[in-house]
Amino acid sequence: MNRFDLLNKIQNILKDNLVICNIGLPSQELYKINDQPNFFYMLGSMGLSSSIGLGLSLSQNKNVISIDGDGSVLMNMNTLATIGNRAPSNYTLLIIDNGSYGSTGDQKTFTDENTSLKDVAIGAGCKNVIECSGDETVNELSKAIKDQNNSYVIISKINSGNIKIDPIPLNPITIRDRFRKFIGIVKYL
Amino acid sequence: MKISKKIIDNLKKGGVDFYLSVPCKLLANMIDILEKDNDVYYSAVPREEEGMGICAGAYLGNKFPCIMMQNTGIGNSVNAIVSLLQLYQMPVVFLISYRGTPGEPVGAQGGMAKITEDILQTLRIPMLHCSSENDLEKISTFSKHSKVVESPVAILCDFNLMKDDK
Repeated sequence: MNRFDLLNKIQNILKDNLVICNIGLPSQELYKINDQPNFFYMLGSMGLSSSIGLGLSLSQNKNVISIDGDGSVLMNMNTLATIGNRAPSNYTLLIIDNGSYGSTGDQKTFTDENTSLKDVAIGAGCKNVIECSGDETVNELSKAIKDQNNSYVIISKINSGNIKIDPIPLNPITIRDRFRKFIGIVKYL
Repeated sequence: MKISKKIIDNLKKGGVDFYLSVPCKLLANMIDILEKDNDVYYSAVPREEEGMGICAGAYLGNKFPCIMMQNTGIGNSVNAIVSLLQLYQMPVVFLISYRGTPGEPVGAQGGMAKITEDILQTLRIPMLHCSSENDLEKISTFSKHSKVVESPVAILCDFNLMKDDK
């Protein structure tokens, strides 16, 4: 299973929740599968999906899923400590760990060698850290969303590999405003 | 404490209700005030760039965020400012302790001080430079300006303004 297969499998869970999606191929694949106003596609700032989702979950009550990658989490590992100490129960971090920098040509990341993001997350103080296969991810993510009392970090171990895909045609303000309209903040659209 | 209280009062008057900080001794009193304030959210964060991301999320969730940091933090955050906060036009207040300005005892802080305003100018971030107590009155209007123009703004607080705020 690669990232595109996994994103397809978890569509039904994502469509009802606020989703912050990592820059590059993850966002492009998600857009292609089923574009939704409640999906915030990152067009820059690699590494910050986990952090943006955290800020969003702290400031309103709907469930938030941050979709991140192993390369991006390695770039911003300090935020796992913030999540470990501050994440509210409506926050779930889904790390799609394919051991490679998919968007830049599948160069290997350190999770393909000695680094375990599960161990890093636990050491950083994160609760409910689950490492699972791509197939198990649907069930684990679904349980995490239903649990109203706890935040989760799910590390989904999948294969590398990408599909051919175009950049997202949406302009950033459109992404921003329709997302905030979905939450109920923007009224003028 | 008087200066720090005035800064926080003016930020709150400007609508800021979500605060993060990467600590600085010049920000210590403000952090103390915010930790005891139940009307607003406050947390420390390990790194400024990450804080930019959390502020972006807080804005999406209808908060008006502020990140407090040393001027060195701007250097840590340039890409996040440009390709997140500015790309999506998100209002965030940067409350910056301006280390390396006159009065600063640590010579090594001078390097970032020399280029801080150049960086902010290059990024086209509106600046409010506070060097005396009177300047602090402008903070609430300046914070509101961030929302009106949908842009991050920077408030620079000089070393000498903050150092004796016991």
